[in-house]
Amino acid sequence: MTCNQTLQKVESMEHEMIEREIHIDAAPEVVFEVVSSPRHVREWWPDEAEFPVEPGGTGRIGFGDTSQDNNWAQFTVVDVAPPRLFSFRWTHQAGELAAPGNSLLVVFELEPAGRGTLLRMTETGFRERGWDAVEIAHEYAEHVAGWDYFLPRLLAYAAKVGADA
Amino acid sequence: MVDDDLWSAVGDPTRRRMLDLLLSDGGATATSLSEHLPVTRQAVAKHLVVLDRVGLVHSTIAGRERQFRVDQAQLARAVDQLADVGAAWDARLQRIKRIAETIERTRDQSAQN
Repeated sequence: MTCNQTLQKVESMEHEMIEREIHIDAAPEVVFEVVSSPRHVREWWPDEAEFPVEPGGTGRIGFGDTSQDNNWAQFTVVDVAPPRLFSFRWTHQAGELAAPGNSLLVVFELEPAGRGTLLRMTETGFRERGWDAVEIAHEYAEHVAGWDYFLPRLLAYAAKVGADA
Repeated sequence: MVDDDLWSAVGDPTRRRMLDLLLSDGGATATSLSEHLPVTRQAVAKHLVVLDRVGLVHSTIAGRERQFRVDQAQLARAVDQLADVGAAWDARLQRIKRIAETIERTRDQSAQN
């Protein structure tokens, strides 16, 4: 990486936020289920997900060998407003109440768009949470970064969805 | 290292301008940096303390002043990790899209049958 490219990336840190938008050819109700229900969250992010889908609901998500305590991250639901909004905090310490300053906040906003859904996602709190939160998020990101991990699961999942229908 | 400090260190526009100058010149002193910035030498010296504390710059004694250089490995590490977290979300959102669209298609087919 050249110095200039490095500095451009530093500039982007000023926003201290990850912000993404994606169009999905599925109804908001379907997308809401996929982003919020633990049985679906397990298919796109952690290996295990245990949390009640209700405001303030506390739980955890697990990565890799979930018999190890340190492979679990704390997870607290913030807002649930189907099919428009789902948000949660994660990376806080076990036993701590999730709040600004001890966790990262992920917000999913859903908006009908044609016959599908515009899904907006933001993750904030890096600056307030500090560097170790990025380390944690990075560590968990590595578990699921590649298609090598995802494709076999997707095929299995798609077959299962088909079988259930 | 206090972790919050790394974010504060690169979050400040003056300090980013200083990193820019240090990278392009290969190194500088508080005095030479202050000549390119709209702040006093004392202010630059304070900013350098912040950057030094989080390991983004290192200094050596050069005559009567300290010569500062950017620790490129630490800078690259800082920016790469944020970029990686973003890339991980890109991958997750692609999965969300595929799962939701698979369910939607299955639903449509069920409705037609």
